[in-house]
Amino acid sequence: MSGVNSKKMRVVVLGGGTAGWMTAAGIAKLLPDLASVDLIESQDIGIVGVGEATLPHIRGFVERLGIDEAAFMKATHATYKLGIDFRDFGRIGESYIHPFGSFGEEVGGIGFHHYWLELQRQGLAAELGEYSLAVAACRANRFTPPAQDSSLASTYGYAYQFDATLFGPFMREFGTSIGVTRHEGLVVDVERDPESGDVTALLLKDGRRIEGDLFVDCSGFRSLLLGQTLEEEWEDWTHWLPCDRAAAMPCTHKTSDIRPYTIATAMPAGWRWQIPLQHRMGNGYVFSSAHLDEDAACEALRKAAEGDPLADPRILKFRPGRRKHSWSHNVLGVGLAGGFLEPLESTSIYLAQMAITYLIEMFPQDGKIDPRDRDEFNRLVDMEYDRVRDFLILHYHATTRDDSDFWNHVRTMQVPDTLADKLELWKRAARIEKYSDGLFYDASWIAVYIGQGMLPDAHDSRVSLPDPGRVSGAMDNLRKEIASQVNAMPGHMDYLKSEAARLAEAA
Amino acid sequence: MSQARERLRRICIAGSGQVAVITALALRRTVPDTEVVVLGLPGDPAAYADRAATALPYTNKLHDRIGITEEAIIQQAAGSHRLLMRYFGWGAEGQSGAMPYGAQLDAQWRTRFAKEWGGGPRNAAGRRPAGSLAEVLADAARFAVPPGDMPTPLDDIDYALRWNMPAYRDLMVSIAQQLGVNHVVGDIAALEPNGQGGIASVAVEQQGQIQGKIEADLFVDCSGPAARLLSALPEAKRMDWSTFLPALRLLHGKPQQGMLALEDRASLLPEGWLVEFAGADGLQITLGLAESISEQDALQALGVEPAEMVTLAQGCAKDAWAGNVVALGDAAASFEPLGHLNLDLAHRQLGLLLEMLPGRVVEPLERAEFNRRAALMAQQVRDTLATHYVAPRARGVFGEKPLPESLLHVLDQYTRRGRLPFREEAALLNQEYMALLGALGFPAGVTPQSQSQDPGEAEAARTAFEVQARQALQFAPPYQQFMAQMMQPQQPADSGIAGDLQY
Repeated sequence: MSGVNSKKMRVVVLGGGTAGWMTAAGIAKLLPDLASVDLIESQDIGIVGVGEATLPHIRGFVERLGIDEAAFMKATHATYKLGIDFRDFGRIGESYIHPFGSFGEEVGGIGFHHYWLELQRQGLAAELGEYSLAVAACRANRFTPPAQDSSLASTYGYAYQFDATLFGPFMREFGTSIGVTRHEGLVVDVERDPESGDVTALLLKDGRRIEGDLFVDCSGFRSLLLGQTLEEEWEDWTHWLPCDRAAAMPCTHKTSDIRPYTIATAMPAGWRWQIPLQHRMGNGYVFSSAHLDEDAACEALRKAAEGDPLADPRILKFRPGRRKHSWSHNVLGVGLAGGFLEPLESTSIYLAQMAITYLIEMFPQDGKIDPRDRDEFNRLVDMEYDRVRDFLILHYHATTRDDSDFWNHVRTMQVPDTLADKLELWKRAARIEKYSDGLFYDASWIAVYIGQGMLPDAHDSRVSLPDPGRVSGAMDNLRKEIASQVNAMPGHMDYLKSEAARLAEAA
Repeated sequence: MSQARERLRRICIAGSGQVAVITALALRRTVPDTEVVVLGLPGDPAAYADRAATALPYTNKLHDRIGITEEAIIQQAAGSHRLLMRYFGWGAEGQSGAMPYGAQLDAQWRTRFAKEWGGGPRNAAGRRPAGSLAEVLADAARFAVPPGDMPTPLDDIDYALRWNMPAYRDLMVSIAQQLGVNHVVGDIAALEPNGQGGIASVAVEQQGQIQGKIEADLFVDCSGPAARLLSALPEAKRMDWSTFLPALRLLHGKPQQGMLALEDRASLLPEGWLVEFAGADGLQITLGLAESISEQDALQALGVEPAEMVTLAQGCAKDAWAGNVVALGDAAASFEPLGHLNLDLAHRQLGLLLEMLPGRVVEPLERAEFNRRAALMAQQVRDTLATHYVAPRARGVFGEKPLPESLLHVLDQYTRRGRLPFREEAALLNQEYMALLGALGFPAGVTPQSQSQDPGEAEAARTAFEVQARQALQFAPPYQQFMAQMMQPQQPADSGIAGDLQY
């Protein structure tokens, strides 16, 4: 049945950044009989290259494309990532790690955090992170891949910290090797069908005309097709996520140790990242332009950055939100052209991969776009964005900070109703609204709630039933077991060195 | 500083069926210092969660959790195992298909292999080759529960248990008694409101005499379709499913000779559907009658001596938890025993209550969260039932009804694209529901990826499956032999209790 009944759909991807090349490679690899893929990129337009840190889902994506993990890590100077260390978010001087992993296990059907809250009330609890293998490994700068069974050693996942400016070229090489046709050139005009309004071709500056049936807009915030041409409305979330600028500055490594986690430090008008790659340290300050000007942000970044600067700070502008419809007519936006939240929690690459995965699932059949499939794609993408949005807002809102206008604003702002209900359910009963389809589950919400000092008023009534000595004994044993397993792990740097195929030559 | 909530002092469970008993048992286990009182109200023949002699694989986990062992069910309640449901004639006359339990249909097989091998257009009529290990085993009448302490070729097989309902209920009653669950027989004389939209106490009468009243912090309504506690609350609303499901009468046959089979069957007849339930204690036959069928035709279609006829009103509580009253089982949702979803839904909602058990004071948002999830569960059950009635041949038997939007969406995606949208709180796993759709004769669309699939992959999957099937058949003894072994008492009669609740 391979493509017998239908001609191939001509897919044109506009933009050669991370999103563009991931889209092109994904379609070319997974739907070779259904689609031909052309990608247009211009050397005159730089790539934003946001997202030096990723989420564990990237592993599945890379694997699905048949890319070798070691080759990918080597090419992008990648390090392993077990979570994010959030500093000064809830209160200055406090920190916690949001791990790619869980805290303890439920006992008698009751979530671990209820027992932790009870022990904490009795003054017997250690920091929540000590009951998480991933957090303990972060704190000790150690790494080993998780076990594939259901033991304690399997209770975490990992992602990568990589050089986003190298990821695009890596995917370009992969994409062109599996049949993506690359066109270098600037798009100067967009042709549309006068009746349907569908895009029919893109005209390049040198006169070339690239025709297509389906256009994927990966042109970044410019959003040439979905935004500028189709004028698809943008839903702005700046009132909830006020950061709209980032100053980024690469630096040298200060020490020979490389952390298997990202650091996010709250700043007076936003937050600052430190992302360790094999060959350098990524530093950046994400800030609200309404609360801080660009020069001041660059200055603050220079002062705070870890390592010696390898370049001057570069300013990236963005707007948190998403298109009302990510897919309109025969154009869909992937990456920044479709939506962007902000760099917190490293969701940018995930959201692009999510859209690509759904595009492949909902790919037009028999050369025609069915509006029902377009609606389904938009429904799925919107749900993901909305759920992630609430989780990001939580990081700003769950704070006691009152040291700047920025923090006063986010602390007191009205949050979306969907989040307000989640907060209230947590506060009153220490419960998490459950869903099985989405990005961040119970453990993530609990990490942020507790990490940012948002303790509930009450927890499950059943936690005081078992003998308190047995509970604290079991929890101590868990901590000891975690500590002992972490002790047996190699250092993150040592592990990387022992896996030479993953090391870039420069490292 | 977070404080543990004050525990419930007393829970009153209204009902006398197996849903009430397992609820009492589970609650007593989870809060051993809370008094649990069962008010044994008279039963209702249309309480199909209470009548059910089986559930789905979720129940095995619930049993484990509350300490009811499989050995006890097999030895004391005529237990047996079902690996799959077999469907006959739903897509077309002569067509058949199977719905095995568990996630055993590997994603990569949901491609050409699954279509050509597991049923689909080419096999729209007639019996097609087995498409899952469960079918291979059921066809060969071989199975053993994997021991669990070592890998076996049967590890991916999931199963549901059957039992003799009265014996199973007795087994649970005896455990409940050992655990100190109190029991009062009587009827409701009056309900005293608590001023917060719930109930403060229930006055109990016996033979017209008031015997006293039961006060409680939490009431669990397991009283059957009448939902005698919940329906008495001003907030309570019921959602009628008759818009989407056909009016049904259920004709039950007298139990026949017991049998050991690894499958149950649901056939579509011109008169309605016929479910054959292979109880070790007796084959039970139930006919779900289409509206226009005469009694005489019905009796003939049943094929065995009739026992009773039950009329059913399908629907569910809009909010299963109102005030301090939580409805479970038939009190929360009432529907026909097609696909054995009745008790499964009751058990999953009980699981949700155990997860979200409140303190003495119920928080409105936790109630809302329970209701949100319980309503999704009920809606998914409704959609799964409705799926049966829109199977290609079933439309002609039961007549056309409008479909819920949620089901239209799912069927559209499946028939055009071979894809199932994710359904929160679904009654069946995606793999199971995919198999059900195939077994009911819905033509599957082709996924974009499988259109680009290398034909070699399908061939490789088929070969791998054949190897797995051979290994499974070698490992599994004849089911009869396994059951004979299970019936040998290993130790003095199993009390059915698997030790203390582990904290």
